Amino acid sequence: MLYTFLTKLDRIFHFPRARAHCDIPCGIYDPHLAQLAVLTVIRMDDLIADLAKAETTDKVAYHNSMTRYIAIKEEHAELCKREVRVIWGDYFKQEHVDKFPELPNLTHKIFQLGSKARQTADREVAMQLLEAVNRFAEIYWETKGIATKRVKAPYKPSEEVVYPVL
Amino acid sequence: MPEIREGDFVLISDIPFRLRTVRAGEIIVFRHRVYGTMVKKVQRLDAAGQIYVTGTNPESVDSREFGSISSDQVLGKVIWHIRAPARRAG
Repeated sequence: MLYTFLTKLDRIFHFPRARAHCDIPCGIYDPHLAQLAVLTVIRMDDLIADLAKAETTDKVAYHNSMTRYIAIKEEHAELCKREVRVIWGDYFKQEHVDKFPELPNLTHKIFQLGSKARQTADREVAMQLLEAVNRFAEIYWETKGIATKRVKAPYKPSEEVVYPVL
Repeated sequence: MPEIREGDFVLISDIPFRLRTVRAGEIIVFRHRVYGTMVKKVQRLDAAGQIYVTGTNPESVDSREFGSISSDQVLGKVIWHIRAPARRAG
């Protein structure tokens, strides 16, 4: 057989190799981390609101908990922006933008809402961020030809998240 | 499904491109300074003669990522493609 013959020749002469496709960049992208990060922001907003209402006389415990909630909220709002930036910058191509013209504005909106979610402890802002990131996830999975569903996360803050139907 | 897969053999010739320029739809082998030797399909040529290539695999790294290539990077046209036999599962 010709292929077997060529394989034997290749072992002797070592034909030059041409790559049909390169796997680096690795092609591993998933908006799930961005979605989880927003849920964390919402949860921190809730915890901040609860603590602010609580009647506590232990100032040290109060400031310690409040500082931790704020630090985690800061970190996860930024994590959300970073994850979205990677998919936007490395995965989405012109053909995706042509198919989903809302994509550039949506991405910009996520970055702005992400910053606003850091500046405030406003749950409504975080919910707007979640909606934008969910839409971003739907578009991402659609470009891969994978259907999605919206389900309530089975943990607090129990908000709706887009999941791929695999 | 990519047209050319890991393990396939291709025979290339630089003779066609001595006589004429590269044409859209042709499968070419070229050298890229970062990605090395690659085989891709020509998508189009611009007015300056720059070649835009695309992979038949949707995950392919191609001109969408690394831009156009010039004709002096082209090693030749694929004139014969010998496919590897279908691999058995397991």
